[in-house]
Amino acid sequence: MKFKNSLSRQFIFLMGTFILAFTIGAAVLLSLLHFLNSSFSEQRTELKEKERVVQAIDKDFNKAFFDARGYLALGNKNLKTSALAQEGKIRILNKKLEKLDPSKENRKLISDIDSFRHYYFDQTLPEAFGNYENGKMDLVIQTANTQATSRVNEFQHLLSNYIDTSEKKLEQNFKYLVKMQTYVQIGFIVFILGILLLLLRIIRIMLRNVGQPLSLLTKAAYDIAEGQISSPIIGSDRKDEIGLLSNAFRTMARKVQEKEEDLMAHNEELMAQQDELQAQQYELETALEIRKQNEEKLKNRNQLTNLISNSLDKQVVLDSIVHTMCKIIGADRGIIALYNDKSSASHGISKKGEEQFLIHMESGLYEKLSFEKKPFAIRRELDLAEKGFHDGILYGHDLYLPIFSSDTHISAVMVFTRYGSPFQESDLGEYMALAKNIGISLDKISLFERSEEERKRNQDILDTVKEGIQLVTIDGRILQVNDQFCEIFNEAELPLVGKPFSVWSRELAEFVEEEDFPDFLKKTVQFNDPAVKVEKAFIYRFKSNSRIIKVYSEDLYRGNEKLGTVFVHRDITKEYEVDQIKSEFVSTVSHELRTPLASILGFTELMLNRELKPERQKKYLATILSEAVRLTSLINDFLDVQRMEAGKQAYDKKYIELLPILNTVIELQKVNTSKHEIILDSCPENPMILGDKAKVEQVFTNLISNAIKYSPEGGPIKIQVHHSGGCLNVDVADKGMGIPKDAMDKLFTKFYRVDNTDQKRIGGTGLGLAIVQEIMKAHDGSVTVESEYGKGSTFTASFPAVESTADPHEQDKTASSGSGYSIMVVEDDTSLVRLIRQELKDSGFNVIAFKKASEALEYLNINTPDAIVLDILLEDAETDGWEFMKTVKKRDNLAQIPIIVSSALEEKEKGFSLGAMDYLIKPYKPSQLSRTIMQTLLKIGKVGQILVPEKEDSRT
Amino acid sequence: MKRILLAEDEEILRMLVTDTLEDEDYEVDEAEDGQQALELASRNHYDLIILDYMMPMLTGLEVIEAIRTKLNNKSVKILMLSAKSQSYEQEKIIQAGADYFMAKPFSPLQLLEKVKGIVNEY
Repeated sequence: MKFKNSLSRQFIFLMGTFILAFTIGAAVLLSLLHFLNSSFSEQRTELKEKERVVQAIDKDFNKAFFDARGYLALGNKNLKTSALAQEGKIRILNKKLEKLDPSKENRKLISDIDSFRHYYFDQTLPEAFGNYENGKMDLVIQTANTQATSRVNEFQHLLSNYIDTSEKKLEQNFKYLVKMQTYVQIGFIVFILGILLLLLRIIRIMLRNVGQPLSLLTKAAYDIAEGQISSPIIGSDRKDEIGLLSNAFRTMARKVQEKEEDLMAHNEELMAQQDELQAQQYELETALEIRKQNEEKLKNRNQLTNLISNSLDKQVVLDSIVHTMCKIIGADRGIIALYNDKSSASHGISKKGEEQFLIHMESGLYEKLSFEKKPFAIRRELDLAEKGFHDGILYGHDLYLPIFSSDTHISAVMVFTRYGSPFQESDLGEYMALAKNIGISLDKISLFERSEEERKRNQDILDTVKEGIQLVTIDGRILQVNDQFCEIFNEAELPLVGKPFSVWSRELAEFVEEEDFPDFLKKTVQFNDPAVKVEKAFIYRFKSNSRIIKVYSEDLYRGNEKLGTVFVHRDITKEYEVDQIKSEFVSTVSHELRTPLASILGFTELMLNRELKPERQKKYLATILSEAVRLTSLINDFLDVQRMEAGKQAYDKKYIELLPILNTVIELQKVNTSKHEIILDSCPENPMILGDKAKVEQVFTNLISNAIKYSPEGGPIKIQVHHSGGCLNVDVADKGMGIPKDAMDKLFTKFYRVDNTDQKRIGGTGLGLAIVQEIMKAHDGSVTVESEYGKGSTFTASFPAVESTADPHEQDKTASSGSGYSIMVVEDDTSLVRLIRQELKDSGFNVIAFKKASEALEYLNINTPDAIVLDILLEDAETDGWEFMKTVKKRDNLAQIPIIVSSALEEKEKGFSLGAMDYLIKPYKPSQLSRTIMQTLLKIGKVGQILVPEKEDSRT
Repeated sequence: MKRILLAEDEEILRMLVTDTLEDEDYEVDEAEDGQQALELASRNHYDLIILDYMMPMLTGLEVIEAIRTKLNNKSVKILMLSAKSQSYEQEKIIQAGADYFMAKPFSPLQLLEKVKGIVNEY
């Protein structure tokens, strides 16, 4: 396609011409307009300037007139000078005017102004001023009236005329401009119209050259589409795009015509082929029908296989077998029954029918099937129920299908009933194949049941173990846990079984305070090399309830292969607490022991190293003694507890009166306190108990001393004795600090002491109440407590009630062993005196005690006791034990009285040489004293036959 | 005369220490518990304070802390008596601000020597 022939070139040429014409026209008009505007404004400026200068000249003349008149009227010299000065100004302005417009008309005006200036300034004014100065006012007035004034007025008129003229000129100029502008506007409109005409012309050319032939081509294309092949008539001679297009179009039309003829031929061929295909399709459809039937069978079989492998629940599987088989077979009723456990499922058969079948299935049917090993079908008449509303004879067909287990035994039998159509021999093979599938799945189920049974048994065994057991596989998953494990970790809420290590170790760690717990788990689970030693136990504490658990890990091996890890979690909270209590006890005991030891050691050291006054020495010795007694009683407590723990504590139970015991204890305890008032409040008449007196005393001593200890602010301690519920109860109530609720359970635990660090620290070993409880248990009684924290506590010791009439005789009998003998005790330790007095009284002796030897000697002047118990180191500075003994032995009437020395001093020889019968070294048990006295009395023949109390033997 | 405050809840031990020191012409003020000790320490000037470790109301440690921080008395010498003689317990006591330590049971004469040393040094 050559460019010079193309449509594009034609269009570009037309558009170029158009744009050129438009641009030139517009430029001409615009420059014309601009020229007009600029020439107008130039003229206008020039005129305005001239007018301004003329006005200035006018003004200056006016000023000269007024000043001159002013001088003439007033005679002010300044005004004269000013009037004359105006001349120079006017001359300059006139020159300027001349320069502005040198036109003829203007020159006339300039010469006018000059001539007037000459006249006024050179003639009129000098003349007038000369006259005025020469006093010829009348001449001045005359001159003014004759010519000057008229000449001035004329000139002024000339100037104003000139200004008017130039105003008019301006106006004329403006009008001319407006007129010219209007012409230009009209010219512009004409130009636009011309341009529009040109455009119209161009469009027409385009339409004729392009539009027409295109629409012809379009019509031809539609014709072709409609099958009328006709060549477009236009411009085959044209060389531009349209020409080419129409040539191409003609070629196309010809080709199309040729192709159409070809197609017609083809079409006929195709018709023949189609007939052939239709025949083939019919064949295929027949084949498809057969395939569909096969598919249906396969589907049924798949469905059956699916159903029976989907579940391991036997009943569910049996139900789905019987339903699916009925559908496959097209049976109306069916049943499946297992031989081994008689489980069954049915379709369309009543419960009763099913049971009946189960009862009779083994008689005959089993033998027949296991002999033939194949299914069989029978034809029978339908019974009335099966027939329903049908009349006449109807037949049904029963199919018996055996199911074999893997060991070729019959494991189950299926029976199906079909009304109407009989079973085909060809179908039976298919049914047998299904039965085989069923057999496999039933085998699977029974295998599963057996392994499930085993698994459950294993779990049951694990669940009976008291420790939490957790089985972890080699890859860290939890395989199994037992109940106890779930209980420890509250596992019901977080099922961990099957979870990977990262999950369960994190979840367990949540419970545990120890931060290295996951590390321990990780090490033990990942540990694979038996040669490497790994920590196999770990103790952890629960965040929530501070339970303490010890976990052991043990690797699980089969042969040399590691299968996993077993964790055993054992709750050791109790042991741990006991341990803690024990260690606390050790520290308490060491403190309790150290305090008396410190004083004993300290005072002894002072006494050995210092010269002390006798009073000080005595005081120190007394202190040492009392501390030693305190130490002894502490040690006795420990020994008591140990004996009780070992079950070696023996009790010598007798019928005893409670009141004397209570009174003795109260009296003894009163000594220990000044702040407390110990009151025996109420008491039934003469209550009796069956008990070991010393032990019962110990019970009340402990209870009352506790009451004193735990009410450090003082207050009443009330003791009440009362019967209730077949028991004799003794309440010991204080108004002290009370017991916190959380401490109540542990109160009677050995070594436990109520934590009272925030209160006054109270000493003690934590053994008192444990001893009390032990003793009360041994008396078939109990000790209980009620307490309100901060308000006080009431301890109640309950003894089994005793018929009060049954006992006094025995009491007398046992007490009578040493009755009547009077024993003198010389001892300055009051607490020891009480102890001895009590012991001797219990053994039936009468006791008279003295603190000072001198007083004892005075008593001996009148009385003669049966025996004397003598302490050596006495408060009495004048007479010590040795002196006393010497004095007594000197007196004839007293020399025969046996003296038993009871002293801390180990000077037996000195004692015996001075005539002592026996020598007891403190500390000794009071019971030992009474036995010694008995033996002594026996020796000297005072007592004929005496029963030595067996107390001592039975106690140890 | 040097003045010494003795805080000890056991009356007998108090007597032992007081007798030992008073014989050597020391003036001894006695406190039965931590609270009393603190009150006396806040009222009077002492050359030495002897404290028992286990005391009612306030333990020896608490008294030391109160003297050193609450009363802001850093200069008074403190001797602690304690049955807790293990080295780590001693360390704890010295850390709390005690200057000297003596294990229970103690020898009164040794205590006297120690007190003499402390007070004279002071």
